[in-house]
Amino acid sequence: MSLENQDWLSAASDNQPLSKAQLDSLLSSAQLQQTLERYQMLGAVLRHETQSPLPASFADDIAAALQNEPTYQLTDSQSLLSRIKNGVAQAANGRWLQPVAQGAVAAGVALIAVLGVQQYQQPGEEMLTPQPMLQTQPIAGFATPVSLSQTTVSDRFAEQEQQAMLEQQKRLQALLNAHRQQVRVMEQAQQAKQQNNDGPKPNEP
Amino acid sequence: MMRTSGVCSAIVLMLLSALAQAEQAGWQLFDKVQYAVKHYNFDTSFVVLKGSKVDTYRWLHGQTAEQEIEHLIPLDTSGVDILRRNALVYYLLTDRPAFVTRASHIPELPALLFEDKDTIRQLYNAVVGSSSVMSGRSAQLLRLTAKQGGRYHYWLWLDAQTGFPLRIDTMSDNQNALERWLVTHMQISPELPENLRALMAADLPKPADNTVAAAFNSSHQLTWLPDGYQPVAEPASIPQLEGSLLSYWLLSDGLHQVSVFVQNTQQLPTQAYRDGATTIYVQTNAQLEVTVIGPVSIDTARQLAAAVR
Repeated sequence: MSLENQDWLSAASDNQPLSKAQLDSLLSSAQLQQTLERYQMLGAVLRHETQSPLPASFADDIAAALQNEPTYQLTDSQSLLSRIKNGVAQAANGRWLQPVAQGAVAAGVALIAVLGVQQYQQPGEEMLTPQPMLQTQPIAGFATPVSLSQTTVSDRFAEQEQQAMLEQQKRLQALLNAHRQQVRVMEQAQQAKQQNNDGPKPNEP
Repeated sequence: MMRTSGVCSAIVLMLLSALAQAEQAGWQLFDKVQYAVKHYNFDTSFVVLKGSKVDTYRWLHGQTAEQEIEHLIPLDTSGVDILRRNALVYYLLTDRPAFVTRASHIPELPALLFEDKDTIRQLYNAVVGSSSVMSGRSAQLLRLTAKQGGRYHYWLWLDAQTGFPLRIDTMSDNQNALERWLVTHMQISPELPENLRALMAADLPKPADNTVAAAFNSSHQLTWLPDGYQPVAEPASIPQLEGSLLSYWLLSDGLHQVSVFVQNTQQLPTQAYRDGATTIYVQTNAQLEVTVIGPVSIDTARQLAAAVR
C-alpha cells in the first residue's frame, strides 16, 4: 500500500471529497475499506466519540439483507413487447387464416360484452330497461304463455325457459360481436374498395 | 310602427348573431378536444359506465415527428392489447394470432374524439355549457345536441387547461345518461413515454389487404333509413355467421354504425336490450328474425326492423 493511498484515505475520513477513480478503487479493494474504517475509528477516538450510534456489524447486516432480497421484475408493457417478440409475426387476418380469424378475434376482444347482455336484463334501473311498449316481456327475456306461468307447473318450465334464454343470449352475443367486428374493419373495407376503384396506391399516410 | 319593427329586427339579428357566436365557440372548444387526444403525450385511465356495469381501460398516446402511437389496454379482459401505429390498429391477443386492420383511430375509443369535425357538424349543434370542478380540475361542459331525433346527444366535460376530455355522457332523447365515459387518471407529459417508444420500434404483423366483401342482401330489401344514415357498400364478410345469415346491412352516418341482421326465425318474442348506448332490438315474424344493433333509440331500431322486406 503506497503512502499516497493513505493520504487520500485519511483526507476522506476527514470528510474531504473523493475523486471518481479514488471511489472506484475504494469500492473494489477490501484492504482500503479496512484502512478507512481504522482511520474513522482513530478519528472517533480523537474526537472522544466513545459510543457509536450504530452497531459495529451494521454494514455487514445491510449487505446480508440485500443478499436475501428477491429480484423484482417490474413488467409493464414490457410484457406486451416480449409477447410481440415471441412471435406474432403472422397476422390473424393474413391470407391463410382469413376465414377463421374474424370470429376468433371477435370472441377474443369482445369478452367484455358477454357480461353486458346478461346484466341489462336486470330490472330496477330505469335507463337499462326497455321502453314501455316492450315491457310485455318478463324480465328473463322470454315470454311464457300466461296460462302456464300462472300455474304451479311453471317450475317445470323454468329450466326450459332458462335454456332458451341462454341460447338467445348466445345468439345475440354472436351478433353483437359481429357488429363490433364490422365497425373495426369498416375503414379498411372502405379503403380497399376505394383502391379497387382508383387503382393501386400507397396505404400508409 | 316602422321604428318598432326596426327595433324588433335589430333584436332578432342580435339574438341570431349571439347564437351563431355561441355555436362558433362550441366548435372551437371541440377543436381543442380533438387536438388534445391527437397531439399530446399522455397516460390516462378511464372507465366506461353502462348501468351497473363498469369497464376499465388504460390509454396511452404519444407522438414523434414522424409517428403516432396509441396503446389501449382493457383492464377487465386479460390478454388483449390494442395498439395503433399511425393508420394501423393491432389487436394483440395472448393465445391467438394478432388481428390487424387499417383505421385512423381505435374503434373502442369514443369515435366522437376522432371523426372529422365537418361530419359531426352535420349531425350536431355544439353549445358551450357551464364550468365545474371535476377530479380537482376545472372542467368545461360542451353539449353536442343532435339535429335530428333518434340520435343520441353527447355531453363532454373538458379540462379547461388542456382541452383533454374528462367525461363524456351519452344522453338519450329524454336526457337520461345511457353511458358514461370517465377519466379517472390523467398525466400529460412533454416527452413520449418510454414504453411507447419501445413499442414504436417493435416488429408487428403486417395487415392483410384482401378483405373479403360480403355477398349478402340477395333476397331482402331495406325500405327505410334513419335520417343521415347511408348503407355502407360492400361490408366485410362475417364468416362465423355465414350459415345462418340471410341478409346483412351496415349503416353509417359518419359517426355511428348500425347493423341490421336478417336470419330465419327462432320463434322468439320481439324484444329489446341495451348495452350502454348500444341498442339490441330483435323483431320476429312468421318467417324472419330481424336484429338491429347500434347506438340508436329503440324507436329507430323498431322502425328499421320493420323496414326489412
